[in-house]
Amino acid sequence: MSDTSVRILDGNTFVVSDSNGDIEASLTDPTGLFSFDTRYLSRWILTVNGERLNPLSVDDLQYFEARFFLVPGTGTMYIDSKLSVIRRRAVGDGFHEELTIINHDEKPVDLTVRIDAASDFADLFEVKDALEKKGAYSASVLDGELVLGYERKTYKRQTAISASAPVKVDENGLTFEISLEPQQEWTTDLDVVTAISAGGRHVRPKYERGGRARPNMEQSLEKWLEDAPKLESDWDPLKVTYRRSLVDMAALRFSPPIAGGRSLPAAGLPWFMTMFGRDSIFTSLQALPFAPELAATTLLALGDWQGARTDDFRDEDPGRILHEMRYGEMTAFEERPHSPYYGCADATPLYVVLLDEYERWTGDRKLVQDLEREARAALNWIDEYADLKNNGYIWYQRRNEESGLENQCWKDSWDSISYRDGRIPGFPRATCELQGYAYDAKLRGARLARLVWQDAELAERLEMEAADLKRRFNRDYWVEDGEYFALGLDAEGGQIDALASNNGHLLWSGIVDKSKANAVARNLMGPRLFSGWGVRTLAKGEGRYNPIGYHVGTVWPFDSSFVAWGLRNYGFKDEAAQIAAGILDAADFFGGRLPEAFGGYERSQTKYPVEYPTACSPQAWSTGAPLLLLRTMLGLEPVGDNLIVDPALPEGIGALGLLDIPGRWGHVDAFGRERGPRQRLDSARTRKQLSVPSNGREAPAVTQQV
Amino acid sequence: MTDPTAAFFEGLDRSGHEPLLEKTIGTLRFELTNGKQEAPWFVTIKKGDVAVSRADATADCVARTDKTLFDGIVRGKENAMAAVLRGAIETEGDPELLVRFQRLFPGPSATGTPGKKS
Repeated sequence: MSDTSVRILDGNTFVVSDSNGDIEASLTDPTGLFSFDTRYLSRWILTVNGERLNPLSVDDLQYFEARFFLVPGTGTMYIDSKLSVIRRRAVGDGFHEELTIINHDEKPVDLTVRIDAASDFADLFEVKDALEKKGAYSASVLDGELVLGYERKTYKRQTAISASAPVKVDENGLTFEISLEPQQEWTTDLDVVTAISAGGRHVRPKYERGGRARPNMEQSLEKWLEDAPKLESDWDPLKVTYRRSLVDMAALRFSPPIAGGRSLPAAGLPWFMTMFGRDSIFTSLQALPFAPELAATTLLALGDWQGARTDDFRDEDPGRILHEMRYGEMTAFEERPHSPYYGCADATPLYVVLLDEYERWTGDRKLVQDLEREARAALNWIDEYADLKNNGYIWYQRRNEESGLENQCWKDSWDSISYRDGRIPGFPRATCELQGYAYDAKLRGARLARLVWQDAELAERLEMEAADLKRRFNRDYWVEDGEYFALGLDAEGGQIDALASNNGHLLWSGIVDKSKANAVARNLMGPRLFSGWGVRTLAKGEGRYNPIGYHVGTVWPFDSSFVAWGLRNYGFKDEAAQIAAGILDAADFFGGRLPEAFGGYERSQTKYPVEYPTACSPQAWSTGAPLLLLRTMLGLEPVGDNLIVDPALPEGIGALGLLDIPGRWGHVDAFGRERGPRQRLDSARTRKQLSVPSNGREAPAVTQQV
Repeated sequence: MTDPTAAFFEGLDRSGHEPLLEKTIGTLRFELTNGKQEAPWFVTIKKGDVAVSRADATADCVARTDKTLFDGIVRGKENAMAAVLRGAIETEGDPELLVRFQRLFPGPSATGTPGKKS
């Protein structure tokens, strides 16, 4: 896919085109109109008098809307056109395109305007793996519409294409014969409707001819921005990053078919616009101080899909929270297990963590009551189904050997879990952060059991188990000679002894003995893990370290944001601020939109963060990272009915305010300011970052009730 | 040989309560075709209380499918959600009801490798 591709989307329907609005996809090329993991248009090419058009400019009006300004002729020719062509496209249940042609000439013109259309109905998985289709295609003209179809047994998908202006429709597209007087304008609406056919019917969208498609989306974006807390800072790039994060988070909202129209964060645009247990939970946690309703929907939807039986193909167990849901042909025919797939070992304990954190922010005990059964089932899964070695730890090993996931932790690439010397362990594996999440889930579950479920017995049991887990964990995972926690345990009970960022997640979960916290923080902030921008996924010097290896050396903003939260939880305020500074500085290089990951190169070596090449941007938990970092910088912590503010700002941010933070307290403002002499900034864009945190930058806490 | 579908619905009616459906209210109609269409099964759910009947009722969600496929589903041989995705089960009305209800279908028998402790 070229860098000039234009993407617009609405939920899991999205269009990827080139910069003149055309779609010309091959099986392996991820352009087209996609909906529910299926490509509904692979060809959509506009010509005027047989000629392709040349883009003058593209307006990304909104995430769901784009406008292309075009002229006839290719890019190599001198442009002196007497015609303007404007395509305004909005995505909805398919897409709506308003095509306008203006004659600037003094003479009238006759034009043949042609749209070539076709679809390969590829499953997203097929686009990834370049697989052959097994069904039959059709194209027919019905009631003036072009209907493209694909059929494999009972599986039927259709694309219906229609125009508002007089048109000649054939099986390969639409032709308009038009005559334009001088300065005259011609326009037509084009509707491309995706349909999952059922019994010969296909569902029509709610477009009105001549009207703009889905103006309600724009309003909802405005309302979303209005409802979010307002940011004040003397460091301008932070404002840009904050706004970018909010807008991207709005785009990433996804209403799964069963959430009753409510939204939860999908994992990433455009290829991961679906429910992912882990990503949706982490992002909801990051966004809690800003948009707590995302957490509520995530909890409800994931609860609805919670595993209920044992199914090896889907790696499903009772109580397990899903990993990934897909709707395409390969999933439908069980060539892939994503209906949904459950092979993920962290989402289940994290589900309980999110439920508790949500209650602490919102005071919504009703949801905790409503989800009691789901939370109990999740807690039960930890002991009953995840402890594959029967020794009190969460282990993972896929049962679907063909298409299941080998690594069921967030670092899910094949080589992410290794020993210092680079060897890869066998299965099952018990990575360290899973034990931290289990510990946290038990303690938080105990709190909810006492507070809401009125079950003191369960609370006591969970607390005892948590204490026991913590004791064993600090013994079994502690790497003495390095003073950090091993990445995991192998099947023989030996330490998978590489040093990795997972240590920060352990601080976040609270499983780390106080006596060990200093050493862990030292490792996280030391030269092997901290790059100056953020925390490397795997430490420099380890056998598999590679600064551009997906999970073996790159810096993931999401990961670093949770490390910062962990450092704060153990009182390492300056260290947390330093990570916040590095990640937010990096965000400035990407126009406020953090990539999924960037290279683990030393900051002093590259001067700018080197983006890891990935097709997915924005990524939900990267979008959430600045939000969580705002929380950690301001030291926001709900305690009872109050929000505690305990700011620790990095050098160079003189003042930071977050106004109207929603929660059980109503709305509260939080402010932090640099104490001591103000740093002089070279320019508004430069925030001087020191490699060694200095003291005296904490500001007194200020809260005020609105 | 017993009819697995009838056994499933009768068992459901006897149990009378399903904890998995305690947040659910609504009526599902299952229309099964076995050469010809059989009398539909109606499952009425009121916050976990479940009643099955073959007497006509207003349904919030209709699921239409082949009797053979449905027999497979209630025996854990077929997956209901995959069947919905490939159009082998047609749905009408509120699909959320079916999503919640399908959790009552059994899974395939497990291999016994990683998973629940014995």
